[in-house]
Amino acid sequence: MKRSPRIFDLIKGLGLIGVAGFAMLYFLVNERFEWIPEQVLELARDPEILKRPPAKKCSECHKAIYEAWKDSRHSISWTSENFIEASENRTKEKCLPCHIPKSVRGEKPSPRLDLRDEGIYCVSCHFIDNKMQGPYDLLAPPHPTFRNPDYVRSNICGSCHQKTFKEWEATKVEDTCQDCHMPRKKGRLTQKAGFNLLHKKRWVGDHRFLHGEIKENDVIMESGWEENFFLISLKNKTIPHFVPTADNGDPRLYLYIKFFNEAGEEVDNAKEIIAPQQETALPYNRKIQYRYRLFDKILKAEVELKYQPAWSKEKTTVRAETVSR
Amino acid sequence: MRLLRFLLIIAAFIFIGILPVHAKDMVVKEPPKSLSKYYPPESKQPKWIQQMHKMSTHFGGVFVNLKEKDFENVDMHADKLVEEYKKTSEMVPEWEDYFDIKAAEAFAAAAKTHDIAQAGKASGGLGKTCGKCHAEQEVSVWAKFHWPSFHKIKVTDPISEKEIEFDDYMGSISSSFKGVTVNFGEGQYGRAAKALKVFKSRYLELKSTCSKCHATQDVKRFYVGKDADTAFAGLSQELNSEKPNPGKFWKNIGLLGKTGCKHCHLVHRTNSFIQEMWEK
Repeated sequence: MKRSPRIFDLIKGLGLIGVAGFAMLYFLVNERFEWIPEQVLELARDPEILKRPPAKKCSECHKAIYEAWKDSRHSISWTSENFIEASENRTKEKCLPCHIPKSVRGEKPSPRLDLRDEGIYCVSCHFIDNKMQGPYDLLAPPHPTFRNPDYVRSNICGSCHQKTFKEWEATKVEDTCQDCHMPRKKGRLTQKAGFNLLHKKRWVGDHRFLHGEIKENDVIMESGWEENFFLISLKNKTIPHFVPTADNGDPRLYLYIKFFNEAGEEVDNAKEIIAPQQETALPYNRKIQYRYRLFDKILKAEVELKYQPAWSKEKTTVRAETVSR
Repeated sequence: MRLLRFLLIIAAFIFIGILPVHAKDMVVKEPPKSLSKYYPPESKQPKWIQQMHKMSTHFGGVFVNLKEKDFENVDMHADKLVEEYKKTSEMVPEWEDYFDIKAAEAFAAAAKTHDIAQAGKASGGLGKTCGKCHAEQEVSVWAKFHWPSFHKIKVTDPISEKEIEFDDYMGSISSSFKGVTVNFGEGQYGRAAKALKVFKSRYLELKSTCSKCHATQDVKRFYVGKDADTAFAGLSQELNSEKPNPGKFWKNIGLLGKTGCKHCHLVHRTNSFIQEMWEK
């Protein structure tokens, strides 16, 4: 059957109007959302969001960020077995402000009484002064959103990671906490059908809050012998804060040294615990020396550096080498 | 004016229980189980001490406002005090008898006359009820609920890398310390030097242990700080020298004992003993 040219033109016209409409809406949403009258936006507001909802509510739109956060240590800051044990069943007051923060805003937060199982969640960091805040000024119809430049600065992380923040500040390195622990990728802030097409792609930080693995190249190891002494030095070459670092947790590097005699027998050993709580962590770009007196005739030393994060009892080898005399 | 100040001070002292209540035969008994629900972990907040603060604030509020002749707030604080006092009296059934609602109401009535002398006089009856409970129970409540328990602390022994109980860890520090001093006394300097490595490692591990409760660096440095570093450096120097100097060795041992062990034991052991009776 031959299609009537009029119907064809009508469909084409409607298509063009649709595309133009979508383009206009896209422009309006992304570039000139302030033109949209507040009364119109009010119709789309979701009052529940401004009542400090659980993270699951935020996931209705921000699914990707929610999924990343679920994978993070922040999401289990109140529920992890390690925390429950270390905080003596959550009774230690000093732990509460940062494990269940009410509002994170550049200073030590206050602990909250509600939704504690959520740990450090969306509302803790983004709902400040009764406003949803983030790194962008943008149109988010369910809730007004305000740009706060602190979201790309280290000081917001320093609210809780105070010691680490001071260590980083002292290094004068420009890379912020977010540069390493929340690396950005272009993506959409919302995954809700329809809205995901209307919002342009932006730089979105990784909400898994990556905990950097300590790699062999991060720590330079040098060793040598003096007459009755074995000398070894470690230098944190790449990480612009102490390694390991923690305000209250107890992550550690263990340096094990085994000494062998001519017969290949292990005759002595030594160990260093490199830990922030013992004030022995490795500062940025500064060599730390260790010196061991040898009581036997030693021909060889086996050196191994292992890392144990604060939340685990497992150690992983960072580097290992044998030093012969 | 002097009388007013005197009455205020006496009233405050009576109320917060600082005025000595004759209790030389005080017995430190474990607080009743029903109190646990007003402290973490059973409660999200330390409700019992908060309740004490509420009553104390309203009591203080009566006198502050009497002094300022703000009688509206005098009446408000008097009413609130009675309300909170009644509420508190129902919180721990085992302690019901400490409370005297009539004394609280009599104090409120006296406060509402807006005559500071009358209020001061009436505060005595109420203050006695508080003072009796404080004298008999305050130490126990603080020992049980306000001091973190040493017996729940686990320490990773830096030598074995096993997690052990705090008391056992103290035992292992003590043993390794003796390894240093006994060997040195016998002239076995090589063995003493090896023992020092173990002892130092265990001693410095205490910095991590302190930080399980103390959030500030200064507190743990008070126990394991510069003096300990100086002492260990001195000990190490002596034991690594060809002919160790006993005078310098024992001086550094003394420095460790006085500035580390003694500081901590003076502050923490009494409470730890009390808790141990209840927990073990």
